[in-house]
Amino acid sequence: MKELNDGKPRKIKSVRPYSFTLEEDTTNFGTYVKGGIVTQVKQPRVLNFKPLRAALKDPGDFLLSDFSKFDRPPLLHIAFQALDRFICEIGRFPVARSEEDAQKFISIAGNINECLGEGGVEDINPKLLTHFAFGARAVLNPMAAMFGGIVGQEVVKACSGKFHPLFQISVFGSKLQKNLEDAKVFIVGSGALGCEFLKNVALMGVSCGSQGKLTITDDDVIEKSNLSRQFLFRDWNIGQAKSTVAASAAVSINPQLKIEALQNRVGPETEFVFNDDFWENLTVVINALDNVDARLYVDQRCLYFQKPLLESGTLGAKCNTQMVIPHLTENYGASRDPPEKQAPMCTVHSFPHNIDHCLTWARSEFEGLLEKTPAEVNAYLSNPSEYATAMRNAADAQAKDNLERILQCLEQEKCETFQDCVTWARLRFEDYFVNRVKQLTFTFPEDATTSTGAPFWSAPKRFPRPLQFSTTDPSHLQFIMAASILRAETFGIPVPDWVKNTKMLAKAVEKVIVPDFQPKEGVKIETIETDERATSLSTGSVDDAAVINELLFKLERCRNNLPSGFRMKPIQFEKDDDTNYHMDLIAGLANMRARNYSIPEVDKLKAKFIAGRIIPAIATSTAMATGLVCLELYKVLDGAHKVEDYRNTFANLALPLFSMAEPVPPKVMKHRDMSWTVWDRWILRGNPTVRELIQWLKDKGLNAYSISYGSCLLFNNVFPRHKERLDKKVVDVAREIAKEDLPPYRSHLDVVVACEDDEDNDINIPQISIYYR
Amino acid sequence: MNGEELTEQETALYDRQIRVWGADAQRRLSKSHILVYGMKGTVAEFCKNIVLAGVGSVTLVDDREVTEEALSANFLILPDENLYHGKTLAEVCCDSLKEFNPMVHVSVEKGDISTFGVEFFGKFDAVVISCCSLAKKKLINQKRQKLPKRVAFYMVDCRGCCGEIFVDLKDYKYSKKKLEETVECQLEFPSFEDTISVPWKALPKRVSKLYFAMRVIEQFEDAEGRNPGETSIADLPGVLKLRKELCETNSVNESQIPDALLERLLIGTSEYPPVCAIIGGILGQEVIKAISGKGDPLKNFFFFDAMDGKGLIEDISEPKPVS
Repeated sequence: MKELNDGKPRKIKSVRPYSFTLEEDTTNFGTYVKGGIVTQVKQPRVLNFKPLRAALKDPGDFLLSDFSKFDRPPLLHIAFQALDRFICEIGRFPVARSEEDAQKFISIAGNINECLGEGGVEDINPKLLTHFAFGARAVLNPMAAMFGGIVGQEVVKACSGKFHPLFQISVFGSKLQKNLEDAKVFIVGSGALGCEFLKNVALMGVSCGSQGKLTITDDDVIEKSNLSRQFLFRDWNIGQAKSTVAASAAVSINPQLKIEALQNRVGPETEFVFNDDFWENLTVVINALDNVDARLYVDQRCLYFQKPLLESGTLGAKCNTQMVIPHLTENYGASRDPPEKQAPMCTVHSFPHNIDHCLTWARSEFEGLLEKTPAEVNAYLSNPSEYATAMRNAADAQAKDNLERILQCLEQEKCETFQDCVTWARLRFEDYFVNRVKQLTFTFPEDATTSTGAPFWSAPKRFPRPLQFSTTDPSHLQFIMAASILRAETFGIPVPDWVKNTKMLAKAVEKVIVPDFQPKEGVKIETIETDERATSLSTGSVDDAAVINELLFKLERCRNNLPSGFRMKPIQFEKDDDTNYHMDLIAGLANMRARNYSIPEVDKLKAKFIAGRIIPAIATSTAMATGLVCLELYKVLDGAHKVEDYRNTFANLALPLFSMAEPVPPKVMKHRDMSWTVWDRWILRGNPTVRELIQWLKDKGLNAYSISYGSCLLFNNVFPRHKERLDKKVVDVAREIAKEDLPPYRSHLDVVVACEDDEDNDINIPQISIYYR
Repeated sequence: MNGEELTEQETALYDRQIRVWGADAQRRLSKSHILVYGMKGTVAEFCKNIVLAGVGSVTLVDDREVTEEALSANFLILPDENLYHGKTLAEVCCDSLKEFNPMVHVSVEKGDISTFGVEFFGKFDAVVISCCSLAKKKLINQKRQKLPKRVAFYMVDCRGCCGEIFVDLKDYKYSKKKLEETVECQLEFPSFEDTISVPWKALPKRVSKLYFAMRVIEQFEDAEGRNPGETSIADLPGVLKLRKELCETNSVNESQIPDALLERLLIGTSEYPPVCAIIGGILGQEVIKAISGKGDPLKNFFFFDAMDGKGLIEDISEPKPVS
């Protein structure tokens, strides 16, 4: 079926996980031999804009929509038309909960659906329509939707600039404006989102009053690629702390702003800075972060201290906002995106089939060669005897592996001149792109079969071919250049100017004697996704111990030949400096490997995108996300709003699409006549013992079987020796097990108790605060 | 790919956004010239966005002086009298914008924009106007229509917590390139005058009420000879009278334009910083799309009301006879 190898896109149908059918007559094609790789191609689509009248009949794609209704757009489209007709005929909205109105509404909807003929829906779902009719008033009444009537006028006042923060301080009669000014706000992050937030809150007059305080923190410094959207920063700020520069820029926008800039990353290690006092005093927290882990941490803190959290994020032209309001909405961590897909290790090591795999491999090789090994060498050199003891004690494959790498670096591959570095680079090339491929194809020849008799090299596996090094191939020379320069850097060898001259470099490379490679029998190569490495690493053997001693002996000899105080310089991957050769080496490694496997190569820009895990970002979507969040900030600071007043947004400026949804309320847990959510905490006073705590729960029909405090297990009924803890005070057990003093200002500790009901069903109960003074 | 390559400096600065729209679009951006009139808060946001994005040049027109009101939502004007004393709004904003991105040429054109000749507008790829009277909107839009070259036209206004964007790209051809194939797309945009003369009766019932309300206020200011935004709650009776007349001529029900909405627009003379950020973000992206020729543009009105938090795209154009 060579006819299929023309690379043209083809339509397919009946797509299943492992098969699909071509929409093409293949009866005249040749016979299928083997292999073949298919790539999915998305075909462009022409968009025709319809006048709204036509769109009403045939909605096509739903451009503007409320997220909460995304699931059934065609039906809802009919419902909205029916509602319009209902209002026309009856002159009012269907009355909430009126069965009669709902029936009338459903019959109108039925008629409309019939008129649509083929464009209609199969089932008009009377149940959904009944709900729709019941709720029609609420859904369509915008006043009720957002400001819940309360702020209505208040916000209009704020919008009208009647009390502008900069020059109308005397008119702050309004509660809202006072709340804005006295708000204690914590903005976490001072990047793109942070800059926009600072500008907005400065203009809004937030934290500009005598009681107000805005804290912003970010541990990052400004770099060039930030400037295209982090507009509070200038060229001359490069290298300075983001939070400090942003804070002083915000003060110049509004000199009244009470702001403090910190350079701490928010996380468990900085809880001495962001302590209980700090969190308790906050009014609201605004996340301006770029990673999920930090978001989850802040979410947990806000959950614990019961603080509203305004969350937003952007990706290219897309942006989303999420409001987390104590007791009203679920917390950020309650719903999570599926984790990012990662390629199995064996694919990355030996069977790459796309450029991502090659880049992942290139990054891990970069780290291994230039960062980890030099760091390991330094660890050994700074304290040889301690290092040796540690290795002897570990006596496992990992230790052996480390020592081998150090020895290789200091003995066979030690570099003293730049020519040594060129030699090293040339031999690495040979190893990576020639020898390893030869070994792989020796172990698994092209016609190899699996245990079931199927061809081993079948898709998605690609059969690799070794490269032939040539000084006339510019990409080969570039690889040598980048690799030798970085190698020289780790050894502190000055880089001569001639390296950038292609002819001189070619000459230097040609001097290198490259030994012939013979593939070996019986080499084991991982082919399926089992973590064999992990198992083989953990089992130390007598052999390992002997080998380790031998290696340490050799290392000692090497060390004596080194100049005193010799250290290597580990290199940390930095994607954004175009003059550091890091991306050149990574792109070179990835592309040479891609060549081995006939995978299309990428340019440096694309390589940087994938290898640097760069998140595309633009100023417009950031500005919009923060504007949307600041609208919600008004509601938070006004206080007393209902969940339906708040809005989460998803927008894509490229489409353009703009949709909003009410935040999701927290999940309510029920047990007997009690109910609670993730926001609740139970309180037990009077410094109880463990037994008293268990009895207190027993009285609620809950059988506690495990009690923990932070990461410490205080009690579990499966351990017999835990029984002696039953009559100790909970706080004393905590002190004893956690081996730490409770802060003097605190009078309670929070424990997590795992419970079952009488039918042995696990019941997720709130955290319990135990007061001990 | 024609034209010169991006410089190393450009690639370094625009790295994150080149990953969104590609080097080709960035090249087109850096050769584009934008004219901006009416330096209010929303326009300040917009200017920030396109200057950061790296357009070729931005020309600002606004001879008004800096007032306290202008300071309120415009973060380009720092509240230090020494910095803005004796300067026009355009000049002060120009100083700030230059700092945002030294690679963009920001300049000021003095004079009354209504008197600028057709050929002046021909120097630009996009014209963005704000705070214009009805007559001025029509005039500028017409001048631009006369040009043989396609100059994208945008009108933006924010009143209190409401915002409106109007887009006129004439006959806009853009190509969507995906993998091997390039698809040509085309959209026809009506002029501002044609758009607002579409009989209201002809519009679908659910068109944003803001559309009608903004037209009433616009006509009211025009009839009274007011500058845009020079209204107060005292004008309500006059506005309600005008609404009645307009609704009668257009034979639509007055309930299409609620009193409460008109009231809000009348007193909403100042801008609202978060709304400026939202509208300025959307407008910025639209201009970037039109220049780079990437992505579907919005046609032809966008409305945002912070009161219900809704953003709506409305296509207000004469329904084409079915052929």
